Amino acid sequence: MRSNKGTWLLLSPGIIWITLFLVAPLIMMIYVSFWTQTTFSIKPDMTVVSWVNFFSSDTYFGALLRTIRIWFTVLMVTILVGFPVALYIGQFIKNKTLQTALLVTCVIPFWTSFLIRVLAWRPMLGKEGAINILLQKMGIINAPIEVLLYTELSVIIGMVQIYVVFMVGPIAFMIGRIDGSLIEGARDLGASTWTIFRRIILPLSMPGVIVGAIFVTVMVLGEFATASALSGRKVNLLGNIIITQVGSLKWAFAAVAGVVLTVVMATFVAIMLRIVNLRNQL
Amino acid sequence: MLEVKAVSKNFSGVSAVEDVSFTVNENEYVTLLGSSGSGKSVLLRLIAGLLTPDEGDVFLNGTPITDLPCHERRIGFVQQKYALFPHLNVYDNIAFGLRHRVIDPVKDESIIRKKVQNTIELVGLVGQETKMTGQISGGQKQRVSLARTLVTEPKICLLDEPLGALDANLRERMTIELQNIRRELGVSFMHVTGNEFEALAMGQNMLVMSDGRIVQQGAPQDMYARPQDLITAKSMHNFNIFSGDDLSAQLKAGTSDKLPATKLKDAHFCAIPMDKIDISDASAKTSGLSAEFLTSEFLGNKIIYFFKIENGDVCEVENHMSLRERRELKANATYQLHWKSKDILYYGENKQLLG
Repeated sequence: MRSNKGTWLLLSPGIIWITLFLVAPLIMMIYVSFWTQTTFSIKPDMTVVSWVNFFSSDTYFGALLRTIRIWFTVLMVTILVGFPVALYIGQFIKNKTLQTALLVTCVIPFWTSFLIRVLAWRPMLGKEGAINILLQKMGIINAPIEVLLYTELSVIIGMVQIYVVFMVGPIAFMIGRIDGSLIEGARDLGASTWTIFRRIILPLSMPGVIVGAIFVTVMVLGEFATASALSGRKVNLLGNIIITQVGSLKWAFAAVAGVVLTVVMATFVAIMLRIVNLRNQL
Repeated sequence: MLEVKAVSKNFSGVSAVEDVSFTVNENEYVTLLGSSGSGKSVLLRLIAGLLTPDEGDVFLNGTPITDLPCHERRIGFVQQKYALFPHLNVYDNIAFGLRHRVIDPVKDESIIRKKVQNTIELVGLVGQETKMTGQISGGQKQRVSLARTLVTEPKICLLDEPLGALDANLRERMTIELQNIRRELGVSFMHVTGNEFEALAMGQNMLVMSDGRIVQQGAPQDMYARPQDLITAKSMHNFNIFSGDDLSAQLKAGTSDKLPATKLKDAHFCAIPMDKIDISDASAKTSGLSAEFLTSEFLGNKIIYFFKIENGDVCEVENHMSLRERRELKANATYQLHWKSKDILYYGENKQLLG
């Protein structure tokens, strides 16, 4: 601690940035959530009406629960689908070039716009979509499965497809870093493949899972586009609520939803970081 | 007892291990000396079951284990890089094999605790049990790696350059400790190294490997005094190797003794120990091989002088301080080198010792 002044000088760009673009907006959002909202205007008179309305209304509180449910499902499915892919890329592909090529392949869908990626699911999942036609042609089903599109299921399918790559990347990175000699060492000590997976690979890849989970969580909790495009506006997430409230100039109410969303996210991220000490692991 | 019979291994057409056969007896310390790229690590991996030989077989106590997967062989393998599990502490690293092995895992934690504690005492890691592997020193990591293998009571323990990453002091201490640990457990060790001193000091039996082949095996003292193979002689780093068309002229110049005529005729190479060469001034009356002094290296208890002889080869002369006073030589000045006939080893065209 030789030069306190110098330290602060070096820290200042970061501090200024975070204060201006993170702390100040957050405080502002919390502040606005207590303002008094009338039909077309908002006044800085403190009240808890918006908060009471949010938690006493089935529509809004239900949206919160639905958001958490869909987020949790998407998170679990991305782990279940993403882990084997990451394991394959990280452990079974020894060639580094091929490893990189496969990871790049995972992000190819991102070369098109978000909306196209989401809307592309409609002709796949629809009543007369590709999946239904295929299953009918193969004689597996007689009538088209209607639950595939404009339901919570279609929202989950769409989200998993979009966000699974954010799970694959960090896990593949962590698994790729596991030294082959550890696995050989475990094998020489008499461990079977399954034991090596459970006792060595799985715990060592946990930081990747945590980072992936944080990525997916932050993106899914703030989602609104996939939900409205693939559910036919039937599935309302907290993100959709914010959009409609802002659209009808209900700033206080939108701020309440925003604060709730931020708290849910922050709680989850905090729990995750407690489980795995990322600083030690990365 | 471990028997390796005619084992070969290729990697995409390039031979790494070729027709290797040897035996490690019960309760024996065997060292395998080889330079990097000689195939010694591949050989260990073939024995451990981390690689499968293209040809040949490995037997453990008379039973073929060539087709047995690594985790069913019960051969301990202490890796060069230690390969400790970074998410487990020292205790759990050592207990890993007992807890999680396929054959006969130990379920009773009290037995595990007893065995792990005994091994921890044996390798001198008392008090380190709860530390993570990132918090301990290189020497301690090496001990954990050894303990982790020994606690599973392997039938034979393979050590891949176990002292390679340790500093000189620690290495010297570990050479003695490794031998003590082995003696106490009565298990056979096969220790692979690129360091000739380590190989000589530790092995009851010693193998020298070069280009994927075992070129010589035997007791370390014989290996050092009379290497049967020129490659062994080179790997001892104790011999000046003379060769070329003027070989006999060079040898004759360095001695007034009568040299054995038949050996001299058949010899393509000769080896003279570095510490068996004398230096005299160019003006001295006695005849000697003329050589230009290049530089010297002071090593505490000895000094090594480097000379360039007429054909351009470098000749090293080792002077032990206990035997002779240190001489100050002038750089680029010419001196004469002498030896005795009895110290010369003769090698034929096939690089094997003559007579």
